[in-house]
Amino acid sequence: MDGFLNALILLSNFVIVPSMAYGSQLAIGALAVTLIYAILRFSDFAQGDTMAFGAMATILLTWVLQYWDVSISPLPTALLALPFGVLCTIALCLLIDRWVYRFYRRVKARPEVLMIVSVGVMFIYNSVVRFIIGPGDRWFVDGERFIITAREFKRLSGLSEGVAFKTTQGLTILIAFIVVAALFCFLNRTRIGKSMRAYSDNEDLALLSGIDPERVVRTTWIIAATLATIAGALYGLDKSFKPFTYFNLLLPIFAAAIVGGLGNPLGAIAGGFTIAFSEVALTYAYRKFLAYLIPGEWAPQGLVQLLSTDYKFAVSFVILVLVLLLRPTGIFGRKAS
Amino acid sequence: MKPSSRRRENMRVISMFAAMLAALVVVGVFQSWSLALAILNLCLISAVMALGVNIQWGYAGLINFGILGFAALGGVTAVLVSVAPVPAAWGAGGGGVIVALMISLATILAAVFAARRAPAGVPRKLLLAFIIIGGYFLTRAFFFPAVEAIEAVDPTKAGFLGGLGLPILLSWVAGGLLAAAVAWVIGKIALGLRADYLAIATLGISEIIIAVLKNEDWLARGVKNVSGLPRPVPYEVDLQQALWFQDWAAGMNVSPVEFSSIFVKLCYAGLFAIVLLVVLWLTERALHSPWGRMMRAIRDNELAAAAMGKDVTGRHLQVFVLGSAVVGLAGAMLTTLDGQFTPASYQPLRFTFIIWVMVIVGGSGNNRGAVLGGFVIWFFWVEAEPIGLWLTDLLTSGLAEDSGLRRHLMESAAHMRLMTMGVILLLVLRFNPRGLIPER
Amino acid sequence: MKKLLIAMALVLLASATASAETIKLGVLFGYTGPIESLTPPMAKGAELAMKEVSDSGALLGGAKVVSVRGDTTCIDSAAARAAAERLVTSDKVNAIVGGDCSGVTIAILQNVAMPNGIVMISPSATSPALSTLKDNGLFFRTAPSDARQGQVIRDVLKERGVKSAALTYTNNDYGKGLAHSIKTNFEKAGGKITISAAHEDGKADYTAEVGALSAAGGDVLIVAGYLDQGGKGIIRAAVDTGAFDTFVLPDGMIGESLPKAIGKALDGSYGTVPGTDSPGAAKLTVLAKKAGFKGGTPFTAESYDAAALLMLAMQAAGSSKSAKLKDKVMMVANAPGEKIYPGELAKALKILAKGGDVDYVGASAVELIGPGESAGNYREVLVKGGKITTVRYR
Repeated sequence: MDGFLNALILLSNFVIVPSMAYGSQLAIGALAVTLIYAILRFSDFAQGDTMAFGAMATILLTWVLQYWDVSISPLPTALLALPFGVLCTIALCLLIDRWVYRFYRRVKARPEVLMIVSVGVMFIYNSVVRFIIGPGDRWFVDGERFIITAREFKRLSGLSEGVAFKTTQGLTILIAFIVVAALFCFLNRTRIGKSMRAYSDNEDLALLSGIDPERVVRTTWIIAATLATIAGALYGLDKSFKPFTYFNLLLPIFAAAIVGGLGNPLGAIAGGFTIAFSEVALTYAYRKFLAYLIPGEWAPQGLVQLLSTDYKFAVSFVILVLVLLLRPTGIFGRKAS
Repeated sequence: MKPSSRRRENMRVISMFAAMLAALVVVGVFQSWSLALAILNLCLISAVMALGVNIQWGYAGLINFGILGFAALGGVTAVLVSVAPVPAAWGAGGGGVIVALMISLATILAAVFAARRAPAGVPRKLLLAFIIIGGYFLTRAFFFPAVEAIEAVDPTKAGFLGGLGLPILLSWVAGGLLAAAVAWVIGKIALGLRADYLAIATLGISEIIIAVLKNEDWLARGVKNVSGLPRPVPYEVDLQQALWFQDWAAGMNVSPVEFSSIFVKLCYAGLFAIVLLVVLWLTERALHSPWGRMMRAIRDNELAAAAMGKDVTGRHLQVFVLGSAVVGLAGAMLTTLDGQFTPASYQPLRFTFIIWVMVIVGGSGNNRGAVLGGFVIWFFWVEAEPIGLWLTDLLTSGLAEDSGLRRHLMESAAHMRLMTMGVILLLVLRFNPRGLIPER
Repeated sequence: MKKLLIAMALVLLASATASAETIKLGVLFGYTGPIESLTPPMAKGAELAMKEVSDSGALLGGAKVVSVRGDTTCIDSAAARAAAERLVTSDKVNAIVGGDCSGVTIAILQNVAMPNGIVMISPSATSPALSTLKDNGLFFRTAPSDARQGQVIRDVLKERGVKSAALTYTNNDYGKGLAHSIKTNFEKAGGKITISAAHEDGKADYTAEVGALSAAGGDVLIVAGYLDQGGKGIIRAAVDTGAFDTFVLPDGMIGESLPKAIGKALDGSYGTVPGTDSPGAAKLTVLAKKAGFKGGTPFTAESYDAAALLMLAMQAAGSSKSAKLKDKVMMVANAPGEKIYPGELAKALKILAKGGDVDYVGASAVELIGPGESAGNYREVLVKGGKITTVRYR
């Protein structure tokens, strides 16, 4: 029995807990991508750098708060600064929408054109972030680091394996849960949320029934900016903030959104966790795990690793390509597209 | 098109290219000719690459964000063609690698066969899974020992199978062919997708290609890079020591050092210009042939073209393969000019998005526009740094020399590059969406 | 467009005429791209040495040294070549501090520096390929080649009784070369490397890598990466999950920022960093702090030393021309002569002016060997109480 428990704890420590946190971050980012796709009908390549911008705004205020000795220990100060980051990012997104995207809606440009426009926006965000905060690695987490460390866990449980649970991981999962619940409430219960869904399902019909399209678009940007900032700040808290890594997040986020079916919020969440779990689970070496389950002489000698970690980042792309080929509308996608 | 409007367009093209040439001359006069020629060489390569993208996007409306992958395939071909083979490595594990590759090929063929022929339902799925998993582990069994043996052969200098030891110019053709072959496979599986899905899928597939090139050391040393590729033109240092060259330089009243660097760049420029003109001529011919008109008809209204019995997917595949081949050719040219192959340098920002900016700014659908775009954008990509420094200097000149803000901004000047690209792209898309030289 | 060009021409003209009495050193690093977070302090390190020399007024009768930065992007050799071409042929720099990543460094060396006969001293290109490359005596580096460090790490591991170790490396030529060197040396000495797995820099999530490393097991984890890139991410994830307690840190991982970022958990980890029994690194840290930047980040010391070597060689050659100074680099870098540490460049310049000889030690204990690269004297360090302490020299 101990063997089984140890194996389970081992897997939790290295696969389940980290993947849950990473998956939550991806899921929130993918939600933003998918919402923009559902309403504005294009794939937003600026998403990664929007997240970087939001995280940057949050960090700047966090530093100010830390300087003033404002703290909500044991929780990280960044949580206090998060609303400020969200407001900054909302302002930025609304400005960019007004100056850039609105024109293309008026002329009814093709989605491909909008996608290329978003590449231009990505360039600009990319350099703005570096102008303001620089390209370096920034570390802004404070407060209690762990909910429970591996060592404490071992002491309390008496098992030979421990599971560590970081505050930031706990926060990430908790906040992701709240955000998702709030978003679904919003989409299903409020008037504007319902009109967004109507607009997404059938634009012409929605317009006929008197929905103000600009209002829908504004709301979408506000929600997307909020999601992006939360995802970006949580990612920065959990790992560390460096502008370059946010650009690299773009493809996993797209993969998550597409795997779940672009335009489908539930799918985005499922996609985020699918990508995170498969990246970690496929490259994990199962030797120790199996050694706990299988008695002595049968235990495997090799690493029992399906794929070398060299190819870890290819995993999300492979899943992406497979899903596109086998089920282009995604796991939860609607039939027509 | 009316003759008068055609004349007007020709005038526009000529004046644009003249302005571009003038810009290079300005660099030559005020910075240095060597720099101007270095920029010109990359402009020529970028123009070829932009032509490849224009064939796909401009002719057929296909979005290929996987340019980096095809450029890298061209680059690795330059290594595989030009580097001398490493007999010790072949002896150590060449056979094993070949066997492993055969097994994986057989696995794929068997899987495809099973998917087509076996009766549908659960047994087919089981059979497929069995073939794929079995093939994977069988391949691994041969592959890993062979690779380990190869990589153990003099790892600091070799550790790979080497190439064919042929002249590097051959790789330009071979690079195009390899890119075309891979494009055929990718196109076969991905071209049915909607536009933005295709973009993301090609980007994803290209990242996989790069991951393979980075991690398969036995092929081209992976991240350890292959440097010192043979050159199709003489070395500057040899020229500087050759008597005839010193006389020639003396006759022109320039130092042999400066002249050798200019001379070599001119040689490259000549080679690249020939390739560019040939590709441009071929693409223009294709565009104005019935095939080109059909392509554009498909692009403008896919449904109508399909209704008229045109094979839309088949045409798309053709155009995808052709465009990718041109990109592969340009990739091989770039590696030749660099004299080395560094797989880590293939980043989406530089090898996908910038090339796209070239095509959009130049004029989608117009080959001469794509060429001009390649020139203009590469020029700004390189000159954005000095211009950015100068602009920041000017804008902050009111601040004290050691003011923190000024110092911060001066140090960030390198990031002006992406800002410039973003602003140019957005301005063109907004105010001149058909580009500098619009499609006819 | 036209206006811009005219304006550009004017500024270029202005910058060309303003350069009469000054020596220019190119500082070619990747200010954008994957190592953009490492390069600003490196450039500041090089510029610190230039300022020191300019302020002293002792170089070649009071010459001022200014820095001209160029962006290599670390990965795009085409852009790097264009930047180098601009520095060499337009700004007419006398010599170059750089490049940074081995790939672009080779591209610049072969395509720009060699044709124009310009000396390059790279602080960070560690690829063994650079040792054997034909360079006409123009290329030097203040970073040691990776081959030597593998032997040093093997000795350290053996003495500490380590029998097995997991190994992770940053997926570039530095990481791969070093990992190979460590693995072959350690296994020859009877040790066991349980796994040798790459990690990519700039990706921030390293759970999967740490999972695999931990499953393979080992007494210690050797992290051949960079301390503000993936290397730090790996250690943090390993500490957080309790996968490893002790880490072995090669040179790219040694710096004060690492114990600060990781905290108590890093105590007891040990590593190696180029150096002899010299106070140089500490002196540079003090100087850097005064100048307002961190001196302890990777390759900052090497960058300071690269710039200092160039200027000392100019003084020894009595000329700021690359063709002359290239023969003096080895002389000023090596014994015999008076030992020179950071902050003492003025003293060195004066000795050289009088025809004396110096042995530049600098911040990274420079000792150049055979093909113009650092000899590889190493300092074994131990992290104790959040500080990096010296155990002994090897």
